[in-house]
Amino acid sequence: MRRAAFYVVLALAAVTFLYPFLWMAATTFKPPAEVGGLSLLTDQPTLDNYRLMWTRAPFGRALFNSLLVATTITLSVLVFGSAAAYALARLSFPGRRTLNVVTVAVLLIPAQLTLIPTYTLIVQLGWVDSYAALIAPYAFNATAILILRQFFLQVPRSLMDSARLDGMGELRILFTVFWPLAKAPLAMVGILTFMGAWNEVLWPLLVVREEQLMTLPQLLTVFSLGGGAGPRQLATKLAAAMVLVVPVVAAYTFLQRFFIESLASTGIKG
Amino acid sequence: MASVSFEHVRKDFGTATVVQDFDLHVADGELVVLVGGSGCGKSTILRMLAGLESVTSGTIRVGEREVTHLAPRERDVAMVFQDYALYPHLTARENISLGLRLRKVPKAEIDSRVRWAAEILELQPFLDRKPGQMSGGQRQRIAMGRAIVREPAVFLFDEPLSNLDAHLRGQMRHEIARLQRRVGTTALYVTHDQVEAMTLADRLVVLDGGRIQQVGRPIDVYRAPANRFVAGFIGTPPMNFLEGRLEREGDQLVFVSDSLRISLATERRPDPTVDSVEAVTLGVRPEDLALADAPGPATIRGHFILAEVLGATTHLHVEVGGRRLIAAVPSGPSPAPAAAVSLAIDPRRLHFFAADGSSLLLNGRNP
Repeated sequence: MRRAAFYVVLALAAVTFLYPFLWMAATTFKPPAEVGGLSLLTDQPTLDNYRLMWTRAPFGRALFNSLLVATTITLSVLVFGSAAAYALARLSFPGRRTLNVVTVAVLLIPAQLTLIPTYTLIVQLGWVDSYAALIAPYAFNATAILILRQFFLQVPRSLMDSARLDGMGELRILFTVFWPLAKAPLAMVGILTFMGAWNEVLWPLLVVREEQLMTLPQLLTVFSLGGGAGPRQLATKLAAAMVLVVPVVAAYTFLQRFFIESLASTGIKG
Repeated sequence: MASVSFEHVRKDFGTATVVQDFDLHVADGELVVLVGGSGCGKSTILRMLAGLESVTSGTIRVGEREVTHLAPRERDVAMVFQDYALYPHLTARENISLGLRLRKVPKAEIDSRVRWAAEILELQPFLDRKPGQMSGGQRQRIAMGRAIVREPAVFLFDEPLSNLDAHLRGQMRHEIARLQRRVGTTALYVTHDQVEAMTLADRLVVLDGGRIQQVGRPIDVYRAPANRFVAGFIGTPPMNFLEGRLEREGDQLVFVSDSLRISLATERRPDPTVDSVEAVTLGVRPEDLALADAPGPATIRGHFILAEVLGATTHLHVEVGGRRLIAAVPSGPSPAPAAAVSLAIDPRRLHFFAADGSSLLLNGRNP
């Protein structure tokens, strides 16, 4: 009996979280007359809202931009982050301890604090309205370095020694020995980085004004601010929001096994 | 195959010196075992030879080639680690062949060498399994397979059997001995296990505090330890020690302690120029003590504490003047607890050590 009550409470909590999302998804398939109702069902499902969204603004191009920017940032964070983590965890060199402290210290600086200096730098470099402006400031990530460093510290030293005797250099050890062992933390870092880069709005709004370079959330924000507030406009904006959220959900669904494994193995609780 | 030479090798970690003035020549095809307690520097010596640890000073040669500052991959050595160090994401076959693939050995040659190693080590059934699907003994054999397919000049074994249970350890010990004899490759083997050291070594190197204490054939080291450390370290149970002094009585030298007075046998006499020594330690191996029926001139009296019956042999623990002595005797009825017992000492098998620990015997070998 207590177990049943427990599940009922859990189900109610799940509905609280899920309903707004399901309502948004359902509304994108509703005709204007039904938009605004609480029901998740419709008698006349339609794709008109998606068609309209696609013709009103360059969402296709924005989708491409977002994929390009988020994927490049994710790969960059994984490659450079793991290389830095490997060096900080397993190589001996002067200043390693200081670099470790600096990496932690970087986490303590709020992103808003560096927004203006970074923007000024981007302007000075002439990178405004370019992919470089969207990618470069996010290509390195202290959190990723710390998560991966912590994992790399647990890899037995003998495995590195063995790889060195087998004839591997440091980069090869990183990518052919450490990476396969670090699938879970790499997946976690990858998902978190991709989601962060995918959802970023403020920075693109600052450095990109050219519509053809806008990312999906940026274009969605601009699109939401303009246009009317009628049922058709609302459904169209929600359709755009769906396009924004689907890739992240798909990526998470695909990688969730590694994600949960990593949370369990690194002791980091969500 | 090649010889290995260490010349005045020293290793410091910060201000701590872990290996000092290490000089050793390992002949081509020889199996030398480095043995010593924790922190004695034995693994560091192996790692310096492999290139995994830098050398503070001194020279290391493999054959005629100086390798002191070469990268590990350029030294032509292969190492078997205590925890096997297999790549968990690769199959046994991939683990064994990886070193060859990285050296761009032709595929046909790799396949042939893997087949050869698998046959020698009876690995065929496990070649397509990953390390996580294998037992400790199987993993250890894969680790050895990985070492032998490289056909290196030198094998290095860093406590390779420590993670195995006693039964498997015995089995693998035989396999390593058989393998080394079959391939004839020079090998350095690090262990703290005396049975491994005694049974595997062509020569034994006993280390303490980063310094060589003695080098020799295992039986020579056992019979004629160079100093008190070696005497106490080699042998299970360890040698018994009694503190006392040497006195001259006529033409005889006599060892005198609170609990013992024994004339020295001619063949165990220390340096003839020694007239008396104020502080000396007498050493006697447990198997050189026996239960005596009654006190006599070469007996020591004490109280029985306990008996450890090992099967054919029993270790009798006897308390003598506040010190515990162990006698290894053929199994039989044990004395009653706390009973007074006499232990007969074979005067021909005594060892004597000076206050600085060095052996006082001139003729080390037992008669």
